Amino acid sequence: MIFEVIERSLRQPNRVIPVEALLGNCDGSRMPEVIAAQLTHAVASRLVEVCPTAAFRIEENNNRPFLGLSYGECIGCGRCFEPSEGAVVASKSLSCCGQPKDRLVRFWDLGSRTEIGPLPPEPRVVSGQIQSLLGRALNIRQLDGGSCNGCEAEISALTNPYYDLERFGIHFVASPKHADMLLVTGPVTRNMAEAVKITYEAVPAPKLVVAVGACGCSGGIFASSHAVVGAVDAVIPVDGYIPGCPPTPAMLVTGILEVLRRCTEKSEPDLERVELPNKRRGESSIKSWGRRQPCAQQLFKLRTPL
Amino acid sequence: MNYEEKNSGTLHMGESTSTQIAVTQPLGRDGTPARLVTLFGSLGPGGEKHVGYVFDVGEATYQETIVAVNGPIRSITLEVPAAAWYERELHDQYGVEIVGHPDLRPLVFHENWPDGVYPMAGAVESVPWSNRQYRFLEVQGEGIAEVAVGPVHAGIIEPGHFRFSVVGDTVLHLELRHFYTHKGTEKLFEGSLVDAGTMIAESVSGDNCFAHAVAYSQAVEKACQSDVPSRASAIRLIGLELERLVSHISDVGGLCTDVGFSVAAASAARIKESLLQASSECCGTRYWRGIAVPGGLRCDLDSKRVLSFSQAISLAAHEFSDLARVILETPSIQNRFETAGILRRDTARELAIVGPVARASGIDLDVRRDHPYGHYDRAQLEVPVTHYGDVMARARIRIAEAAISARLIQQTVDVLPPGPVLVPLEILGEFQGSSAVESPRGELYYWLEGHDGRVTRCHIKSPSFQNWPAMPFAVADNIIADFPLINKSFNLSYSGCDR
Repeated sequence: MIFEVIERSLRQPNRVIPVEALLGNCDGSRMPEVIAAQLTHAVASRLVEVCPTAAFRIEENNNRPFLGLSYGECIGCGRCFEPSEGAVVASKSLSCCGQPKDRLVRFWDLGSRTEIGPLPPEPRVVSGQIQSLLGRALNIRQLDGGSCNGCEAEISALTNPYYDLERFGIHFVASPKHADMLLVTGPVTRNMAEAVKITYEAVPAPKLVVAVGACGCSGGIFASSHAVVGAVDAVIPVDGYIPGCPPTPAMLVTGILEVLRRCTEKSEPDLERVELPNKRRGESSIKSWGRRQPCAQQLFKLRTPL
Repeated sequence: MNYEEKNSGTLHMGESTSTQIAVTQPLGRDGTPARLVTLFGSLGPGGEKHVGYVFDVGEATYQETIVAVNGPIRSITLEVPAAAWYERELHDQYGVEIVGHPDLRPLVFHENWPDGVYPMAGAVESVPWSNRQYRFLEVQGEGIAEVAVGPVHAGIIEPGHFRFSVVGDTVLHLELRHFYTHKGTEKLFEGSLVDAGTMIAESVSGDNCFAHAVAYSQAVEKACQSDVPSRASAIRLIGLELERLVSHISDVGGLCTDVGFSVAAASAARIKESLLQASSECCGTRYWRGIAVPGGLRCDLDSKRVLSFSQAISLAAHEFSDLARVILETPSIQNRFETAGILRRDTARELAIVGPVARASGIDLDVRRDHPYGHYDRAQLEVPVTHYGDVMARARIRIAEAAISARLIQQTVDVLPPGPVLVPLEILGEFQGSSAVESPRGELYYWLEGHDGRVTRCHIKSPSFQNWPAMPFAVADNIIADFPLINKSFNLSYSGCDR
């Protein structure tokens, strides 16, 4: 019997999807992509009307109307594709996975039909860099703050032979005390808020927190519920966001690697933020990741292969 | 009754004359007590409280009784043990006084919820945070220890709290504490447009999102007495069976993970992924999210890709049945699976257990056959049933059902009717409808009412809510190390239960 099992595993071809094909890929998530040239004011107001989570909105600045799209609020329902007359299509690639919150929103000028603001960066991680980013390992603790289990299903797919997260040296661990990164899903419910805080506090510093899914980024479809506290950042500080409902495994890989890349780069102004005091160990509050306590950098310096 | 009394676990049998006897358990066609499908509250037009009782009396349609209550009602839990959680939920959400319930501790709301706030009984503004007490049932005696697990577990799973009372390794009693993922989903339906309700339904239990979307859509279609095009109902069948196939493959793989059989677990994960990728190519989404809507489907299957989609399914089904043979023949698997976590037929019947768990305990029950819907009345359906009620029986049921699902998909794909997949629904005036679907976890039932295109109340009976109370019975007398395995063999959704 055992020989049959071994023979079976040897017969399987290598199914691992190369990292280049995963980074930035959002196929199957139905995240919207706006074709700026097709955008009119009428189309934009229709988009605002059909969007169930108000991910699209029209804002005005100096009497110039802009269309904003917040990917953190989009649940990928695809209801904006049809009424948009070709101005919105299902996106094949998405660059905002793993970015800070302000980079999840994009704006288009409805007058000149162009995108405004800095264009979102392409995921810059290439396979050669990954080893130096990670050193030997990154330990992730997945935490469900009250999700519908759609995100969990996709996160568990990360360990299957197609995505094989272990190839990057990334492992899922059982205890927050072993973790470097918390991958938090779901809107945080009233009943989970305390457990989420305690779990966060149990992760030894330096730590990274990634909010996963529309609910984790913004509360998603549950944002207005009386039983929900809010998005993950309503309860604990968050370093990066992965949108999608649920995000596909490729988006999760992109997001995790992108958060790592940003947090290990020399100077990242958007990393400065005030962290909650770590009550359990009586530590003083960490003022800034960038300057006073370059935790992530230290971590990865320590882990650089010998 | 004050909180301490309610929480003390003592039985209150005192009934005043004002206690309303809302309903008595009807008998089924075979003369045995009918199975409770669900029990829920709703509000009448003037804000008065209504309680709905739904029984399966063995006919094609369910027996739905809705009674207005204006005071305490008598609990039916002692005659119908399956009603226990439903009545506790009714008490939590609507504040309906229930007399004679053996355990009226708060179910849905935890210590943080203030007493006397009933969100479903009216509008909720900001709810203050509270710190009330909750008393776990304590097992006392020499050598008895308590092991508390959760809500945050050691893996990629949802939150829930388990409190084991053990003697050595053996579990005497397991007390469940759930509703950590309670998101007030049923309240969110109130006032939502009928179309937007589909998206809420899809977020009840993410891995069964298509079954939820179809059940919700069918309830709306029934409410406005509208039929969906036959192509749409055929594609819905494909989606529902594919979801079952994916879920069962994933469960069997999960069972292998829990006993350390990694090769089989990795193979199952690979087969599951191949199906998700085939779905993504054929209809643009991995879990069929955002496809079913009231009136049909939002998109048709890509005709150029249907053939490769159907080939991917038959390949996956073939590979899985091959893998399942290896799994079932492995002696160490047999050793762990057999006699672990036995759920007896009597217990399953009393708790009105549904789905593969019920069928593994000898209860012949399947919504697709007993209450046919959509395309199923045209499909030949076998329902596998075994009588052992252990982990092995549940694994075997899932393996057999996966093969049947793959066959149903092939039969339907081969003769996919032409035509449109969506008809616009006319939703005028007041409407009320209900519908049941056999989701991968069992009977899923939606009951809704509304007016002028908006839903005013939507009740979701999820199979997980129904089946969780059976877990302590299956776990008792097993060693604590077998709990993850038994839990996985039930494969219940926490979010689906907590809603």
